[in-house]
Amino acid sequence: MPFRLNRRQIITGMAALGAVAGGRNAFAQAPKRIPIPEGEFVPLPIAIPNFVAGTPGDAEVGVGVAQVITNNLKRSGLFAPIDQAAHIERITNIDTAPQFQSWKQINAQALVTGRMTRQGDGRLKAEFRLWDVNTNQQLTGQQYFTSPEYWRRIAHIISDQIYERLTGEKGYFDSRVVFVDETGSKERRVKRLALMDQDGANVRYLTRGSDLVLTPRFSPSTQEITYMEFGQGDPRVYLFNVETGQREIVGNFPGMSFSPRFSPDGQRIIMSLQQGGNSNLFVMDLRSKSTTRLTDTPAIDTSPSYSPDGSRICFESDRGGKPQIYVMPATGGGAQRISFGEGSYSTPVWSPRGDYIAFTKQGGGAFAIGIMKTDGSGERILTSGFHNEGPTFSPNGRVVMFFRDPGGSGGPSLYTVDISGRNELRVPTPGFASDPAWSPLLS
Amino acid sequence: MKIKVDKTVMASVALHVLVLGWVMLSFSTKALEMPPEESVAVDVVSSDQLAKVMAGMKTGKKENPKPLVEKVAEAKPVDDAVGKITEKAPVVTETAAPPQPKIEEKPVEKKPDPPKVVEKPKEEPKQVEQKPDPPKVDPIGDTLKKEEKKPPPKPPVQAAKPPEPQKQRIVERHFDQNQIAALLDKRDPSRQATTGDTLNSNAALGTAKGAAADNSATWGSMFQRQVERCWKKPYGGIESQKPEVAFAIRLKRDGTLEGAPVPEGVPATPFLRVYQESALRAIIECQPYKLPAAFYEEWKYFAPVFKEKV
Repeated sequence: MPFRLNRRQIITGMAALGAVAGGRNAFAQAPKRIPIPEGEFVPLPIAIPNFVAGTPGDAEVGVGVAQVITNNLKRSGLFAPIDQAAHIERITNIDTAPQFQSWKQINAQALVTGRMTRQGDGRLKAEFRLWDVNTNQQLTGQQYFTSPEYWRRIAHIISDQIYERLTGEKGYFDSRVVFVDETGSKERRVKRLALMDQDGANVRYLTRGSDLVLTPRFSPSTQEITYMEFGQGDPRVYLFNVETGQREIVGNFPGMSFSPRFSPDGQRIIMSLQQGGNSNLFVMDLRSKSTTRLTDTPAIDTSPSYSPDGSRICFESDRGGKPQIYVMPATGGGAQRISFGEGSYSTPVWSPRGDYIAFTKQGGGAFAIGIMKTDGSGERILTSGFHNEGPTFSPNGRVVMFFRDPGGSGGPSLYTVDISGRNELRVPTPGFASDPAWSPLLS
Repeated sequence: MKIKVDKTVMASVALHVLVLGWVMLSFSTKALEMPPEESVAVDVVSSDQLAKVMAGMKTGKKENPKPLVEKVAEAKPVDDAVGKITEKAPVVTETAAPPQPKIEEKPVEKKPDPPKVVEKPKEEPKQVEQKPDPPKVDPIGDTLKKEEKKPPPKPPVQAAKPPEPQKQRIVERHFDQNQIAALLDKRDPSRQATTGDTLNSNAALGTAKGAAADNSATWGSMFQRQVERCWKKPYGGIESQKPEVAFAIRLKRDGTLEGAPVPEGVPATPFLRVYQESALRAIIECQPYKLPAAFYEEWKYFAPVFKEKV
């Protein structure tokens, strides 16, 4: 019988031989291992000089892009941009490697160089390179083309690229926030729906302010918003198209409908419907307009929010006496209580990363914003005070935005805080602002 | 997919495998030996003394005639110790049954007793033998005999033997509170082999164990403190991914890197890649490292492992 070997056997045999020889060799030379376990998290020093102007007319936008990137990275709390006044080298050409020594000298660990060039066809070309100053290597580099008026968006996209390359996580800068803009005196407050970039720029008003609007929520497509509006009669859930300005009532129900939110695929809206003194959760398919009841309890079930995979729902219910957070399958069925701390819990929202549920916690005369794992463990209060409410996650699940009302004659403002509880920052808005909802990434 | 293999190719492969296998096994048998664990010496030795002891010399002789000395001590007469140790040899424990001869050697008082004890067993067997002599055929008697025969093999008297001498000895070593001092061990300390009047370093080529002196606790923590000052650890959120990255690095005597640190393995996730890069930046940025020159042989090549606190 002829001796046969198939190719795989030969290869694995050879590989095994090699592994034996190589492995022993490596073992013989294994160096002494010294553990380095004590490093502290420190914001990364990064230098962002103004982008080079490809044509003389592009100087202004080059400065603007660098400023937007600097602001984004600084606000994230994970980077420490170095003041441009300290820069030694003046970047004039991004196609050659920078003088790394001069950037080392000012303790920069990363360097961003870029160029904005207006093209013959009127478009704007944006190029950038991210350098590792210590290893003298380019970490990433990209170029984009866009209309000149969208230069801020390009700056956000570049910020996301830098953030992702240096932290290992997706960024969140190229995103928007919808919120309720509040103007006027406390007694005659006008509330309008407003949309802005996550850094507070490009504010647009979506409604005129004749009716009271609450709890706006983005669809995953970022083109639509669902919200609750008190028109004539009962408050209703509306659907609003950001691009066209069209709006429509979601469903036609006898009682009040409120606290709507999109499913992760954008095909359904989940909300509360009032029935007598109780309210229950319903889900409506936007295409077929069919409505499914999810809960049926003599209690108030509200504020539903889908897990990112769409398989589960967290919501608030007072079926146990006080408002608490419950989790149940997206198809309804046995709900499990997950919040057990003192006080009452409300407005749960599931992180886009799926790892946490953010909530408002009321107790001890204060409102706090916190997060807990999806099984209710690991509760962490991020901020606490007279009135904090309405948490919403950034697209990467790393930052929570909420609104804070200091009380008195003033009004609420928007704030962001890292899910570790650090780096709390106010978000600039034209007037008072409440009920923020963060969009998914635009690109 | 199967392929037919030419016989000559097969033979060639087989021969190669044989030769390579033989080379690997026969040329490197030493590498397979497991180095024995080093024993832990418990002795108070100052660090410079230890360093002298541990420092090997390339020019050293293979064998060092002088005994290894770890500690300087006052000169002591060595003979004395040996003598005293032998004197004390007969240490008697009270629980163990003592060997017979010793008891016989002991003073006069006990001598009368042991003989008696020895005689008794001889008498008993005689009695047993005498009984069979009367030729009475009697079933009851037979059974009685059997019963009687049974007990004697169980040596009640023999068992009684040891207790007697023991009792005597206990009485002899009665405890006198006023003479506690007499119980003290008055021997000189016997461990003298490792102390002497001069230190001598082990000027040999090294032992078969081959484990080098390990002062990594000293220079390792110095390196750790220095590199951590430069390490801007990336912030990986709350759910720690238990990152751990290692590099092999070679340092020159002046504490600067001889070449680029070599990372161990390819990072599996973007976060691990970032983590590895941050550690690499730290190693490069923090040089030159100030480490004790005496241990250069140890820190010229080692592997820092960057990881999270447990």
